[in-house]
Amino acid sequence: MLYLQVLVNGLVLGGLYTCIAVGFSLVWGVLNIINILHGTFVVIGSYAAYFAYLKLGIHPFLSIPIAAAILFVLAYLFQSGVINKVVAAPVLTTLTLTFGLDLFLNNLLIIAFKADYRKVTLKNPLGVLDLAGITIPVDKLAAMVLALLLTGLLFWVLNASRTGRAIVAVRMDREAAALMGVKVRKIYALTFAIGAVMAGAAGSLISLIYPISPLNSFMFLGKAFIICVLGGLGSVSGAMVGGLALGVLESFGALAFGPEHAVTLSFIILILFLLFRPMGIMGKRGYD
Amino acid sequence: MSSFFVKKIGKSGLLILVALFLVAPASSGQAAEKIVTIGAPLPLTGPLSPEGQKQVQGYDLWAEAANKAGGVKVGNERYQVKIVYNDYQSNTPRAVQLAEKLITEDKVNFLFSPFGSGATKAASGVSEKYGVPTIAATASSEEVYNQGYKYLFGTFTPNPTLTEPLSDIVKEKVPNVKKVAILARNDLFPLAIAQCMDASAKKRGFNVVFFEKYAIGTMDHASALTQIRGAQPEWIFATGYINDLIFIRKQMGDLKVSAPVVTMIAGPAYKEFVDAAGPLAENVTSASWWHPAVRYKGQDVFKSTENYNKMFQAKYGFIPDYAQASASSVGAIFQLAIEKAGTLDRKKVRDTLASMDVLTFWGQVRFGSNGQIDSLKPPVFQIQKGTQVVIYPPEIAQAKLQVGVK
Repeated sequence: MLYLQVLVNGLVLGGLYTCIAVGFSLVWGVLNIINILHGTFVVIGSYAAYFAYLKLGIHPFLSIPIAAAILFVLAYLFQSGVINKVVAAPVLTTLTLTFGLDLFLNNLLIIAFKADYRKVTLKNPLGVLDLAGITIPVDKLAAMVLALLLTGLLFWVLNASRTGRAIVAVRMDREAAALMGVKVRKIYALTFAIGAVMAGAAGSLISLIYPISPLNSFMFLGKAFIICVLGGLGSVSGAMVGGLALGVLESFGALAFGPEHAVTLSFIILILFLLFRPMGIMGKRGYD
Repeated sequence: MSSFFVKKIGKSGLLILVALFLVAPASSGQAAEKIVTIGAPLPLTGPLSPEGQKQVQGYDLWAEAANKAGGVKVGNERYQVKIVYNDYQSNTPRAVQLAEKLITEDKVNFLFSPFGSGATKAASGVSEKYGVPTIAATASSEEVYNQGYKYLFGTFTPNPTLTEPLSDIVKEKVPNVKKVAILARNDLFPLAIAQCMDASAKKRGFNVVFFEKYAIGTMDHASALTQIRGAQPEWIFATGYINDLIFIRKQMGDLKVSAPVVTMIAGPAYKEFVDAAGPLAENVTSASWWHPAVRYKGQDVFKSTENYNKMFQAKYGFIPDYAQASASSVGAIFQLAIEKAGTLDRKKVRDTLASMDVLTFWGQVRFGSNGQIDSLKPPVFQIQKGTQVVIYPPEIAQAKLQVGVK
C-alpha cells in the first residue's frame, strides 16, 4: 500500500513536471536556445492566476487563458525584439542573453510583487479523494490531468496545423524550411511564445499547489533542465516521459534514501544520462 | 527691487548678509557632523530578501523613533542616527566583504550583523578584528557565540529555549503523545533546532519514530509525509523557512496527515504563513523569541511593547513579528549603551553592552559571557482562529493549547 501511494504521489508530481518542462524543451529543440527565462515565465503565470483569483474570483484552472495570453505577448516581444538578433549565434551567447534577461525580469518581479510567498487558497477547497487507502488531492489530480491535456493539445497543434508543421520543419532543418517558404524568424518568435504559453499555463496550474514567489523560478528551471535531458530534447513525448519518470524517481528516491537525497538523486541521474544516453529516453526524433 | 534693497540696507549690511550666508552652511555642516552611523549588511535581494526586508523595517522604525525623540544622547550632545544599508544579495561571502567595507570605507561607528546564524558567524570575525561592537538581531545558534569574541552580542536565546518549553507543555497537556516525527530542512538553523527537538523529546521519554532531513529547494514532500502517516506519530515537528512550511502544511492536508500536535519553526510567527496556509494553519504551534502579545515596560526609546506595536502599525499598517521587533531592539539596545557610556568610543560602548542589564520592549536584556542574551523567556504560541495567541509563559498566556490538527 505504501508503495502504491508513493507511486501515485510520483505520477501526480510528474504530470506537473511535464507541463513545466514541455515549453522549455520545445524552445531548446527548435531554436537551440536554453531559455533561462523559463522559470520566471512559470512564476508570471502563477501571479496571473493569483491576481485573477484574488481580484476577479476566477478559478486558477479557468485563468489559464489569461496567463497564456500575457506570456504569449511578453515572450513574442522578447524574442522578436531582443533574442532574434542573436538567435543564430552559438548556444552560449543566447544562454548568456536569456540569463541576463532573466536577472532583469526576475528582479522586476521582486520589485513589483516583493519576495514574499503567496498562495492561492480556494474558498471552497477541492478536497481529497480516498481510493481504498490511497489518498489523492483533487486539485493536484485535476492540475495533472489539465497539464497532460494541454501537453496533448500542443502535440496536436504541432502535428496537425500548418504553423505546427512549419515549427517541426524548422526544427529539422532550418535552411530547407526557409527554402520551402517558411518565414524562419517568425516561426522562431512564435515557438518562443508557445513555449512561454506552456510555462504560463503550468504557472496557473501550480499556483494552487506551490507557494508563489519570484525566488522559485530557478527551482522550476532546474526541473525543466533535468526532464529535458531525461526524456530527450525538443519533443512533446520526451518531456512527458521525462516528467513522469522524474516524478516517480524522486518519490521512490525519497522513500529509499531519505528526502534530503531526492534532489541529489535526480542530478545523479542527469549526469548518468549525459554520460551514457545523451539523447534521453525517447531519443531525438522530432515531432513526426 | 534689488537695487532698492541694496540702497536700503547699505554696503556694510550687504557684507553682513553675505557673511551670514557663508557661515550658515558651515554651522549647519557642524550640526550635520553629529551623526552616529550604524552599518547594516543585509540580504536585500535574493532568496533571503523577505527576511532582509523585515530587518530594514525594524531598523528604520528605531532610527525614526530615536531621531524624533531628538537623537541619541552622547554626553551633553545629541546625535542623529543614520543607518548605512549594503545589499549582500543573500551571498554570505559578500556579507563578510561588505561588513569590512562598512567599517573601513564608510567609517560606521557600529555594526548590525547580517541575517541568520551562518552569515553572522562569518562576518563576526571582521568586527572583532576592527573592534567594532556588533549586535546580531537574528542569530540563535550557539556556534556563533562560542568563538571567544568580545565584540559580538545577540538578542536570540539558544535554540533549546524554544524546544524545551514546547516539550514541557505537550508532555503536560497532551499525555497521550508518545511518538514524535521530525522533518527538518537541511540548513544551519532548521537542522540545529530539529536536533534540539530530538534531544528535548528523548529527555522526556517521547519516542522519536521519524527523523529525516529534506534538501533546500525540495519541491515535493509527499514521500516523507506518506512515511510519517504510516508511523502514526502524535506529534509532528517540521522545521524550515516560511516557503517550506506553507508547502509542507498544504501537502499534509493533501495526504490527510494529521496529529494531535503539529509544531512548525520558523514560519507560523509570520502573518504571511497564516495568510497563505489559510484554514490549514489552525492549531499549528510554534515558538519564537518574541511575540506582539508580550508585555514589557522598558527604558528604551519605545518605552513598552504596546507602544512599540502601535508605532510599528502606524508606520507599516500591520502588526510586527519577532524578526522586525528584534531588529528594532538591537537599535534600541545600542542607543541605551551609547547613552549610558556617554561616548561613541567603541571599547567603552562594548564594555557597557557587556555589563548591561535593562528592561526593554523586547524583554530583559542581559548578555552572557559569550555575548548571547540569557535573560529572555521566549513565548510559545499557537494559531487559533487565524491569529497567533501566546500559550506560554503563563503570565502572558492568551489561550490554552488546543489539541488536534487536521
